[in-house]
Amino acid sequence: MFRFTEKTVSGTVSWGKLSLTPFLFLVVPAFAGTYPGVGRPATPAEIAAWDIDVRPDFKGLPPGSGSVAQGQKIWDAKCAFCHGTFGESNEVFTPLVGGTTAEDIKTGRVASLTKPEVARSTLMKLSTVSTLWDYVRRAMPWNAPKSLTTDEVYAVVAYLLNLGDILPDDFVLSDRNIAEVQARLPNRNGMTRNHGLWEVKGKPDVVNAPCMKDCTPEVKVGSEIPEHARNDHPGNASRRSRW
Amino acid sequence: MDPAGRLRRAPEHFLDPRQIADVQSGRRDFLRGAFLAAAGVAAGAARAAEGDPAILELPQHSKGLGQPVAERGYGLPSEHEKNLQRRESPGLTRVGGSSVSFTPLQGLFGIITPNGLHFERHHQGWWDIDPNSHRLMVMGLVREAKVYTMDDLMRLPAVSRMHFIECGANTGMEWGNVAVPTVQYTHGMLSCCEFTGVKLSTLLDDCGFDRKNGKFVLAEGADGSGLTRTLAMERALDDVMVAWAMNGEMLRPENGYPLRLVAPGIQGVSWVKWLRRIEVGDQPWATKDETLHYVDLMPDGMLRQYSSIQECKSVITTPSGGQTLLDRGFQNVTGLAWSGRGKVKRVDVSFDGGRNWRTARLESPVLTKCLTRFNIDWVWDGRPAILQSRAMDETGYVQPKINQLRAVRGRRSIYHNNAIQSWRVGEAGDVSNVQVY
Repeated sequence: MFRFTEKTVSGTVSWGKLSLTPFLFLVVPAFAGTYPGVGRPATPAEIAAWDIDVRPDFKGLPPGSGSVAQGQKIWDAKCAFCHGTFGESNEVFTPLVGGTTAEDIKTGRVASLTKPEVARSTLMKLSTVSTLWDYVRRAMPWNAPKSLTTDEVYAVVAYLLNLGDILPDDFVLSDRNIAEVQARLPNRNGMTRNHGLWEVKGKPDVVNAPCMKDCTPEVKVGSEIPEHARNDHPGNASRRSRW
Repeated sequence: MDPAGRLRRAPEHFLDPRQIADVQSGRRDFLRGAFLAAAGVAAGAARAAEGDPAILELPQHSKGLGQPVAERGYGLPSEHEKNLQRRESPGLTRVGGSSVSFTPLQGLFGIITPNGLHFERHHQGWWDIDPNSHRLMVMGLVREAKVYTMDDLMRLPAVSRMHFIECGANTGMEWGNVAVPTVQYTHGMLSCCEFTGVKLSTLLDDCGFDRKNGKFVLAEGADGSGLTRTLAMERALDDVMVAWAMNGEMLRPENGYPLRLVAPGIQGVSWVKWLRRIEVGDQPWATKDETLHYVDLMPDGMLRQYSSIQECKSVITTPSGGQTLLDRGFQNVTGLAWSGRGKVKRVDVSFDGGRNWRTARLESPVLTKCLTRFNIDWVWDGRPAILQSRAMDETGYVQPKINQLRAVRGRRSIYHNNAIQSWRVGEAGDVSNVQVY
């Protein structure tokens, strides 16, 4: 009986054009799935509770707003401990901020990604602002994920982008202007899907030959384990062997 | 304490200078001396001429009463196997909740990874979730969004499949140069299990997914990170599973108990653990772990997004870095091969740095997107050697050399390094990690 009640409730509210009165629902069970009696319809409240993803086209982004100034307060209280006052810290996680320029904002390509000496920061790689918004909401702060309000998420995202000189100090980020922010991301044009590793039938980058005899004129050792690294991993001689 | 065979099997163990000097002076039996000292039985030494004390002097286990049944309600490995552990790589990460532990491939046999040694990768720590309160929601572009309990899922038509799981960053530390000493750290973000669950297509059908517009699927975890990854619908409908079991028992908490995604051939991050939600959509999601991480940096500064397939790869696990050959003569050389595009077709092994190759024996079963064990005979003549394995899959793709990969992808990618691994055997029998160009 309990299951039946549940089905009736959700059957009347969650189906859009298939929504039926309870009476009709009983007489003409609508879509019952392939496996009768297994699972139950999700209620709108349940879907809303879990459907927190935000896509690059901003599908799923809830209305709200937050300023750079508000974001700074949240940052200093909840984020700076791990990420540093300026998002620059490399102590706990890799840096969030650094390596982007005003020129990058014009081109949409972060030039320093070609420079080995520059440590890769989050803002150097970020190509979609939705990614940042979605992640802060679902996973931050580190030890209390999903605890920020919608407006707090807007504020923290605004402050982080301000630390990267992408947004001005007086900016108020909202669902209404986030598309404009997307158009300022330094690496918005820096992502490609033109490769063979997405589809099983994709084309590999390199083709090696299954040569069996006299394959290389010269065997050259180009790199070997440095002496200092030989015993720096756990389980070494001092801890003895398997047998 | 003595090596059972003539190979020192230390998970990581390089000879110290004194030991190398011993070996070079011809004292290849120095470990035997250590064994006798450790045995500490004076009588044993005195009777050594008569034979092996392990035979001549009956041990306690032959003369006393052993342990009763059910002494351990859940069995444990032997005390003598304690050193075989999954381990972190020092300096690789700084927070245990967002880190990796590596499977000790050098100590495993066959193709199945014991559940307690399966590699771990958590993004915000692991949990032991009560299965009674765990739910899976399937929603988005479906006729009916549904909620399933674990009981519901386990009533559905189940399948059991053996597959490897490999982190996209496996061997990632070696893109620049040789960096780590042993196969545990070069290749240990790799495991293989028999998984049991329900095909994702079964659940998508049950919810009446939109076959016209439903081009992508999002999988989301119930942990703090709420880890999310996009799958193309073609993949989702092929062989992806929603699994609750590994190797005959429920999943381990560190591996997603009570429910995880199994995405054969695709990098491990897509095998979402503690799976709580599946959403059908018409576009990919560009989530954090497909935009900021798990993107391959190319030499021109472009980042490859949604690089997912684990291409054909192999590695010799014995002998491998950190081990020591104690004698010239016969050795069984063994290793693992796999491909995210299908079955392994052939594995060739070279003992001279890639100049000449011989084809290894593949042990059965040889399954699609599953580890395959290979073995090959070798007689070590005591001279330096460089061992390599090169796998080919059923598409005809041949595992590349590191310099072939670097010519296209540079040296700064973190992901999808499936290059041929080289182990150098020194004159002292010490095996170390090298790259051959």
